[in-house]
Amino acid sequence: MIVRVAAAVAALFVVQALLVASISALRTRGNIYTTIVAVSLVTAPFAAFADRLLFGRALDVDGRLFLVLTHLAAGGFLFHFMTLPDRSVTLRLLVELLLAPGRTLSMRDLSARYGVRTMIGSRLDQLEDGECLTTAPDGTITLLPRGRRLGRLVTAGRRLFRITSAN
Amino acid sequence: MIRLLLPAAGVVSFFLVSLATVRIVRPRDPKRFFLIYAAGLAIGMALVYRALWPIDRVEDALGLVCTLMLQVLACLTMWNTFYSVLWGFSGSLMHDMFNDTALCHRERLIRSYEGDGTLDRILARRLPNLERGGWVDVRDGTLRIRPKGQVVAIGTLASFKLFSLGMGGGVK
Repeated sequence: MIVRVAAAVAALFVVQALLVASISALRTRGNIYTTIVAVSLVTAPFAAFADRLLFGRALDVDGRLFLVLTHLAAGGFLFHFMTLPDRSVTLRLLVELLLAPGRTLSMRDLSARYGVRTMIGSRLDQLEDGECLTTAPDGTITLLPRGRRLGRLVTAGRRLFRITSAN
Repeated sequence: MIRLLLPAAGVVSFFLVSLATVRIVRPRDPKRFFLIYAAGLAIGMALVYRALWPIDRVEDALGLVCTLMLQVLACLTMWNTFYSVLWGFSGSLMHDMFNDTALCHRERLIRSYEGDGTLDRILARRLPNLERGGWVDVRDGTLRIRPKGQVVAIGTLASFKLFSLGMGGGVK
């Protein structure tokens, strides 16, 4: 019985992943995380009525609710999984090495392909898109209310967990 | 629906024990502790669930899987928040600018990360871990990816393609 449920969970995950991949291919400039959340929420009602397809019989009310929550949880796992290739600096470094001639790079070549200037520039652009800050033409950065809240949150969190150095 | 109280209790326990560990034990690699706690609490929850609600019907089995997934997802969310927001790159940028207004300038901020040595702050933190973990070799200022690293890089590259992520790494 557990195996059948596990297969159903895998199916719910795969369907969402394929939908997200398809939509991302069509909307290459769209936000992947918004897509995942939207796909998960929009398809959740369908999951409630997938009981016959997945288990060969209708489930009771609790069973259907568990099915919907399981579907949403699968979407949550996809969301977390996506942060790895999409955000991880370490994984990008490994990909740059994989694609390099002879799978070898000097520090200088690595910096030219994926250096701190590129990384920070891109992150600042994203933070600006997220209305956390604005950048003037002379490079001066002004933190907006949302950015100040984020800065305060990170500072308080680091104090709470006693994190003294990070990046 | 009372079954959903189990993952709620598990998540609160995870938060409290993780917080206590980080504040009191202050481990160099907290994620090992987080992994042990998350796995232990998942096993504990499954045992309690089965004791309270024997798996007689599909609904019971689905309830068990659902509560397990919700608990693990919540633990993973806390864990990811801890690393991504508090220890991550964008979080660090916001922290630095919020606490030092002199860094609220694009060039000064970049220079603070470039540093004076051969390695910038980003690589200086990651390369030793990659080398120690057997993912890359570092010799005479040259990096070579090892077989273990190649497997992960191929998987990452496949994700880039499948989900149209460009080249990832937080760069749009």
